[in-house]
Amino acid sequence: MVTAEKRAELKATDASLIHRIVQRDESALAALYDRYAGMLSSVLNRILRDTQAAEEILQDIFYQLWRNAAQFDSSRGSLSGWLLVIARNRALSRLRRHNPASGDELSENTVVVASNLESSVAQQQLMSKVISALDNLPKEQRAAIELAYFEGLTHSEIAQRTGDPLGTVKTRLRSAVETLKRDLHS
Amino acid sequence: MSIEHPTRMEDFDLYALGALDDAERRAFESHVASCAECAEKVAEARGRVAILAFASPPVAPSPGVKETLMRQVIASAEGPGGSFAHAKPEPAVDGGIFARWWAGLLPVATAFALATVLLWLHNEQLNRQLADLRNTITQQKQELAETRHQADLIAERETMVVPLWSQKGTPESHAEGHARVLYNAKEGMMTYDGWLPSAPADKSYQLWLVPMNGAPISAGVFNPRNGEMSHMMMKLPAGVTAKEFAVSLEPVGGMPHPTGPMVLVGPIS
Ligand SMILES: [Zn+2]
Repeated sequence: MVTAEKRAELKATDASLIHRIVQRDESALAALYDRYAGMLSSVLNRILRDTQAAEEILQDIFYQLWRNAAQFDSSRGSLSGWLLVIARNRALSRLRRHNPASGDELSENTVVVASNLESSVAQQQLMSKVISALDNLPKEQRAAIELAYFEGLTHSEIAQRTGDPLGTVKTRLRSAVETLKRDLHS
Repeated sequence: MSIEHPTRMEDFDLYALGALDDAERRAFESHVASCAECAEKVAEARGRVAILAFASPPVAPSPGVKETLMRQVIASAEGPGGSFAHAKPEPAVDGGIFARWWAGLLPVATAFALATVLLWLHNEQLNRQLADLRNTITQQKQELAETRHQADLIAERETMVVPLWSQKGTPESHAEGHARVLYNAKEGMMTYDGWLPSAPADKSYQLWLVPMNGAPISAGVFNPRNGEMSHMMMKLPAGVTAKEFAVSLEPVGGMPHPTGPMVLVGPIS
């Protein structure tokens, strides 16, 4: 059963929920959690392959949002994008045993996402688009982009891993981001 | 500092992806730090790169995470202590020993009354928060039961994810249609999530598993409501090797074999 209250919460924009969090409304945080925890949990698990570590980071990100929501400027960037960037950064730091990035994550990482991801329908639609865009890449390009995104490897680290010449890796990644930009953003 | 703007758009995406090696990255950052125009492009590139996260197989967090988070949040909420500490005592009025004694007691009495009210209010607030939390947990348990099956299916290594798209040359009305099938041949489990426009009054959509050998197997008949996603989960015979999944438009209630036009098709690569 979806209550009227819950339905209103589903329709509230991220910006209005952030505003309510600034005013210490816990239910607004719960609503944002319901909206984005699944999306973040998926990428955290993919990077870390460790459910417990993924859940620790997930909880921590939302707690940080609760404490510092006032620093988030909804007019400059999107919350969903920020959450995705922070989740990936934290997971990669943990994976590579770096200390998490210091500094002010909320105001420094402005992320502009072209699609509105506030509804689960929109998230599902984007998911099928991303999956098929990656499926359409040549195999080596797809492998390179996955090593960069999910393992945090740089050009030369990918070259080392795959045994391919550095120049080849650079060309592959460049073509891959070009194709993805065309397929997903035009 | 380098004065040149990065020349190619992909440089921003490669930077956001974290693919640049140290020297390149530092050169890039030293320019962007002092160029508002490029900083804006970095924000957009971060967004383009961020959505690659959606290539991850869906994994729902355990309900305990939300519960712990909300407890942590409620515990951190400002209690009455803060306000109470700031309550200023009333200035004492001069007028003999009794007046001074009474005046001395007044702020204490006021503070006591205030504290009582604040504690009561706080208690009310906590009760409300607890009730909300309980509701949330109950609701989550229900949602979890519904999604657990699907989550289990997704977590299986053998489960394949197959996107379905509208065919070239389908009518305009169906061009926006799309769906995703999760299929586990070993278990014969399958889920379908997708969007299609409402079917004409005398028609239904029918989902088919097209096996490598033999006739298409019906996997369900559905009539989406206008603008809404359809979700289905079904059990099929185990051990069938699928060649593709498809959705066709059939007479209401479906047919034993596909007869109508295919509106969505998802071949298995
Ligand atoms: Zn510039």
